[in-house]
Amino acid sequence: MTTFVFRNQTVEPFLGYDAMTYSGYDDISQVPVDVDRYVWFYQVPVNADRVQLAEEIESYCDKLDLVLASADLHKPFIIFSLVDLFPLRLTGNETALAEAIARFNGYAAQLSRERGNVKWVDFSEFTSRYDSASLVNWKYYLMSQTLLNPKLAHDFQAWWTRIEDEMALKRKKCLVLDLDNTLWGGVLGEDGIDGIKLGGDYPGKAYSYWQRSLLQLARQGVILAICSKNNEADVLEAWEKNPAMVLKHEHFSAMRINWNDKATNMRELAAELNIGLDSMVFLDDNPTERELIKQLMPEVVVPEFPDKPYQLMPFFKELVESYFRIYAVTDEDRRKTEQYHANARRNAEQSRFADLETYLYSLDMALDVIPADVHNLPRIAQMTQKTNQFNLTTRRYSEADVQLRLDDGWRIYCMSVSDRFGDNGITGTIFLEPVDDVTVNIDTLLLSCRILGKGIEEAFFKTVLNLLRLDGYRKVIAVYLPTAKNSQTADFYERMGLTCTRVANDGVKYYEMALNGVFEIKNYYNIRVL
Amino acid sequence: MNLEEKVKEIMCEVFDVDEVAADVSQKNCEQWDSLRHLTLASELEEAFDLELEPEEIAEMTDFDRVIAMLKSKM
Repeated sequence: MTTFVFRNQTVEPFLGYDAMTYSGYDDISQVPVDVDRYVWFYQVPVNADRVQLAEEIESYCDKLDLVLASADLHKPFIIFSLVDLFPLRLTGNETALAEAIARFNGYAAQLSRERGNVKWVDFSEFTSRYDSASLVNWKYYLMSQTLLNPKLAHDFQAWWTRIEDEMALKRKKCLVLDLDNTLWGGVLGEDGIDGIKLGGDYPGKAYSYWQRSLLQLARQGVILAICSKNNEADVLEAWEKNPAMVLKHEHFSAMRINWNDKATNMRELAAELNIGLDSMVFLDDNPTERELIKQLMPEVVVPEFPDKPYQLMPFFKELVESYFRIYAVTDEDRRKTEQYHANARRNAEQSRFADLETYLYSLDMALDVIPADVHNLPRIAQMTQKTNQFNLTTRRYSEADVQLRLDDGWRIYCMSVSDRFGDNGITGTIFLEPVDDVTVNIDTLLLSCRILGKGIEEAFFKTVLNLLRLDGYRKVIAVYLPTAKNSQTADFYERMGLTCTRVANDGVKYYEMALNGVFEIKNYYNIRVL
Repeated sequence: MNLEEKVKEIMCEVFDVDEVAADVSQKNCEQWDSLRHLTLASELEEAFDLELEPEEIAEMTDFDRVIAMLKSKM
């Protein structure tokens, strides 16, 4: 990926040299289009004349507009907020500069809301960790025009990598929590429902803040689960009877409250939630349990847990920034916890029906097939980044990549599924690349695992094939690219009636099929093509 | 690790190369440009916990001079 950086100072020590191209200092005359993304990383210049400086800052908004007018709007454009690294005031009530900086930052934030490709990065999140003496190194500034201290380069790179991961949506999905001395103070089995420390004064207050913060995380789409050695009945009773409990039964998408070893429990949780171990973060106050998981499941992230309850909030901040924060929350994310729950209810119901067909009828499933558009494009890109298991090719695309393919004439559909237990939202997509007038290549086909098991994949796929046939296509070609996680799709195309024409040594399978008749779809789906 | 080895390691990281020759200099190493020269100085200051003056940084134009300068500061 190549990046073009607009800057007014030396920033190479921070953003690096690899695949980076830099503008001249405050030079916006060249706006290349043959790059993959843009970065705008200006610093507040050094100038004792604060009014003049404020005017200069004001001009950055116009410059940004000019650049955006010539930049390729399908490519990410990342704007760093401005920070006054060397606040120098000759009069105490001088505010012109601070106002100009605030205006620029507000403008950049506004652009990020209005334009899908513009992303705003709060640079003060990095600089606020340091005092002004360590932020600026005058020796290096005067030698190289680098106001930000080059000694912070390593810290900066670690922070910046995290921000890039946030934007690329490479985040963990599930937080697995212990209970005693983790979600509350004390041991439920010994201290009793009213004896555990939760609510009221310190230390109970610390656990209340912690639980409320975790609840907020769940509302943003992070899955909460429990892995605890306790008597399940005690815990259920505590949830019901302790009025200080913020996180209760309904906030956890899956639980293992028993006396089995935690590695077994973690494996079961991953299977139940249909997520990989590498999407999980394990929290436990007990170092032995942490060590066990670290040893047996190196894919799971196991952070150290704070010793003191008053360290929980800074720990929460660190946890969010390291593993869970995403650049923007989609509606799907907000609904996810709810959806995982509805799934649990569906599973419970399934066991009551004599056969699967009767059960599927009873669900009143509605399947909408929707062409990609500006509204669902972020979600489509997100699914290509995050879906591992039911994914035939595991090709990762950014929003810009998806847009580019639409512009090239690809047909991209997504699907949304609802049933009487709830709306699962957009949970699958297919990318079809026209090869010639009558042939399409299936570049990508994926479905979120939480909706599998109801024949949706077949209904979606066949609906799309029927659409293609109506539009005059007569042949599809496809490929299966094996990964460590997608083996459940290895025979999907065979099951759908495609012919495997070749299997390469690396397990890659090539397929083709003629589109002759109409594909029959089971009638327990109410299918709409939008 | 002796001083020479440590300096070579830092140079490899700053210049993003696999190894540097014993006679590496600003003249014969393309990556050793003026900007990375300062990054090198900043990394050396950190690694050996010392402070280099701008005039001293300017003199450190090849491997031997870097070593000589560091020795004189220790």
